[in-house]
Amino acid sequence: MKKVLAMILVLCLVLSLCACGSSDTEEKSGSDNQTTTDTKKEEAPKTNTDNASGVGTTLAQAEDEEEVLVMEDKDEINILTNGALVDGKFPETVTLKVECYDRDGDTPANDNMYTDYIKKQALDRYNIAVEYVPVPRWTEVDQINNLLAAQEAPDICYTYDYATIQAYSDMDGVNDLSEYLTDDYKGLFANLWNWLGSAGLLAHRDPDTGAIYAIEGKRAEYYRTATFIRQDWLDKLGLAKPTTAEEFENCLIAFRDNAETLLGADASKMVPFSLATDAGWRASTLIESFMDPDITDKELYINGFDERHYTQNGTKDAVKLLNKWYNEGLIWKDFALYADGDATEGDMQKAGYVGAMICNYDIPFRDGENSINYQLTQLVGPEAKFVAVDTFKDKNGGYNKYAYTTTGSDRKIFMPKTNDKVLASFLFLNMITDPEVINYLQLGEEGITYTKNADGSVNIIAADADHVANTINSQYNIDYTMTCNGLHLLDPEATIKSKAISYANVDPADVAEAIRVADTDAKFAPVVNVGVIEAEAGLGNTLSELRNAGYCKSITASEADFETVWNDCMNQYLTAGGQAIMDERAEAWQRVLGDKTMY
Amino acid sequence: MSKDANYIEGYKPRRMAVTTAFKKYWQLYLLLLLPVIYFIIFRYKPMEFIIVAFKDYKLNMNLWDMPWATTKKEVDIFKWFVKAFSDKNFHTALTNTITLNLLDLIIGFPAPIIFALVLNELTAKRYKKVVQTIAYMPHFLSWVIIYSIALQLLAPSSGLVNIVLNNMGIESVDFLGKADNWVWTYILFGVWQNFGWGSIVYLAAIAGINPELYEAAAVDGAGRFKKMWHITLPGIKSTIVVLLIMALGGILGGNFDRNFAMQNKLVLEKAEVISTFVYKRGIKSLQFSLTTAVGLFQSVVGVIFLLSANFLSRKLGERGLW
Repeated sequence: MKKVLAMILVLCLVLSLCACGSSDTEEKSGSDNQTTTDTKKEEAPKTNTDNASGVGTTLAQAEDEEEVLVMEDKDEINILTNGALVDGKFPETVTLKVECYDRDGDTPANDNMYTDYIKKQALDRYNIAVEYVPVPRWTEVDQINNLLAAQEAPDICYTYDYATIQAYSDMDGVNDLSEYLTDDYKGLFANLWNWLGSAGLLAHRDPDTGAIYAIEGKRAEYYRTATFIRQDWLDKLGLAKPTTAEEFENCLIAFRDNAETLLGADASKMVPFSLATDAGWRASTLIESFMDPDITDKELYINGFDERHYTQNGTKDAVKLLNKWYNEGLIWKDFALYADGDATEGDMQKAGYVGAMICNYDIPFRDGENSINYQLTQLVGPEAKFVAVDTFKDKNGGYNKYAYTTTGSDRKIFMPKTNDKVLASFLFLNMITDPEVINYLQLGEEGITYTKNADGSVNIIAADADHVANTINSQYNIDYTMTCNGLHLLDPEATIKSKAISYANVDPADVAEAIRVADTDAKFAPVVNVGVIEAEAGLGNTLSELRNAGYCKSITASEADFETVWNDCMNQYLTAGGQAIMDERAEAWQRVLGDKTMY
Repeated sequence: MSKDANYIEGYKPRRMAVTTAFKKYWQLYLLLLLPVIYFIIFRYKPMEFIIVAFKDYKLNMNLWDMPWATTKKEVDIFKWFVKAFSDKNFHTALTNTITLNLLDLIIGFPAPIIFALVLNELTAKRYKKVVQTIAYMPHFLSWVIIYSIALQLLAPSSGLVNIVLNNMGIESVDFLGKADNWVWTYILFGVWQNFGWGSIVYLAAIAGINPELYEAAAVDGAGRFKKMWHITLPGIKSTIVVLLIMALGGILGGNFDRNFAMQNKLVLEKAEVISTFVYKRGIKSLQFSLTTAVGLFQSVVGVIFLLSANFLSRKLGERGLW
């Protein structure tokens, strides 16, 4: 009896172990959907190496390129692809796995009305079956690292961080795409060439070997950050919108000193100016105002590995000012203690405790009913809102700031070595870049997800509980339009007119004003390509950690310690590889461009 | 004095042939098979990846095909070890790991023993149970939650403790943002989380002490402290030694989630430890070879510590781990 019992127990154990083992894979795909996202976090934190490489072109230059005509002759395509395509289609269905960011929205990122549309298009056009692999937005690099190391990465991947792709290609993990980026294929991939041009497609071509490990997406919008202040608080205290740093500081002081008036019983929760651990981004307009507006491209490039301007001239003075504010109680005391992406700051902004902030130009408007400005009207009062102000003057009296370069600051698309379907992948990218497809993904269906106004502009209809499947994954579905970041409709006129009204539940005038502010005196940093900078590989993450720590520690130091703390942190950053990168960049610039100081 | 609960004077176990043993206790061996399989699959099989520390990691290659580590085109299998040891950040992580673990050992190790001794002296049964249960609770909280609690209590502007201090007219103390304060916050939260749970083993050991010893001591006129000192403590000495050996073996190891959840940007110079360094360099920055080398170093030092502690304890007449 005992023996039988023991036998049964053992079998139970063994079987349960086996069962656990086999269900592993299913659980894994399910757990991919669990993300810790904070949808209002900046779009750009991952772009810290934007300027790392890439060919410099502005929107205007890209438009100079000739229109490429679509190759329509089926026989020609047949010959070009060595018979892989018959009548423009694969004779047998090719399955492609494609990465998409998962922002933990209301619908699964890999299964909604937009992915259905994409899947249908790919199947109809090329006989490609698309499978989306959701990757949590705020831990994307870690996730892709794991997938690559496990040889399970999607066939088409994207990330904002080129240094990461460079690290992959150093480990032989990425396909060289140059074979398909020749003139022969231009007609077949006409949409790609027309939208991205050589500026995007050849951006990462190695000047020595000609290898191309990634192609650059393109931003349809270039606005980056703006300074925001609470309009209703200014009104209550009878203050005008600040137009200089000094006036801005006075506003913050007034907020601090009038906490009782502004917040009543919650006066102790007053935060005149809020920051987060990515302080370089969250003080960008201030830092950029301290930089020399006449800076040479060379200096900008040499110090440009860090997109948060950590080593640029002038940054130290900006941080010193922040340090002074911090010690005077004008900045949120606890900001550096919270982890990246923590929701606490957002909750304080929505609850109305925060007086001013610097962030992406559309942060207060994102997310419809969850947007900061809409929440303020609900929780504080109808007049409560953040408005954009231009307030930090540079030494020339302008509002020096940097915009996103249309090419060079968007996602980089690459194909891991495990992808043996490069032709199909390019055809998919070509399809996703079709202006009609982009138009559909950004708007959806008329009458259901948007309505047209008389002037051609469109109103987005926010998906409600009955139409959850219509929910977009990200603003304008940018996670699906891999090559296009920002509103880009078939009709350019309508695009401009629609921009301000495309944010649900907020005042379009505020959006328009934020765009105007973000655009004032905005400059494009040239995207310099002087060859691969070896010292950069694999250091993106390490250095941005050190930079963030440096910003946080310097801001929170006592005023007396500021110099020491700043220097210590900077030394750490430089010895950890920052100096080596700057030296190599200077050397490469000298080698390729000689004594030129402008690109 | 018995060394061991199962020790019987004059008894010598008879050796049994392996096959007889198998036949007689086959169910037990069958049960043993499970953990053995587990260890082979999850502990021994992965050891082949140690070789990555001596190679240049390639994403698309099978482990055995990867080239040996090279510097300037010459094979240099210790390249990653040299690189790790010349990395300033690794030095900081190493020092911090040792400092934090030693502090943890000095302060955190005796805490459950003292708690077990005190609890053992309590006579009110119900009160004892309640205290015990409450003390166990923090063990079940994850470190992420504990850090959130720490923030709610200790943040300079919104933490409860600092609000109370402010109301008493005292300036806020930056428990979490100043490296030196952070170390103590870290250690004390660790003690708080673990002392209750850690005391279970000691309580079990105390329960195994022969009550006659206490009675005899009482007859001899020993008070509470004498009994504690001469009976309870010697009674659990071997348990203490075993746990101390294991703790010493982990002196370079450590709990990844505890450090990772508790650290913040302001205190990294004291808070970065080897496990978080490996995570940031290895997984986030893709330097698999470098961090495998670090991991290997960590394990080797851990084994050395474990063996020497074990050796010492046997020299001092204790039982040791084996």
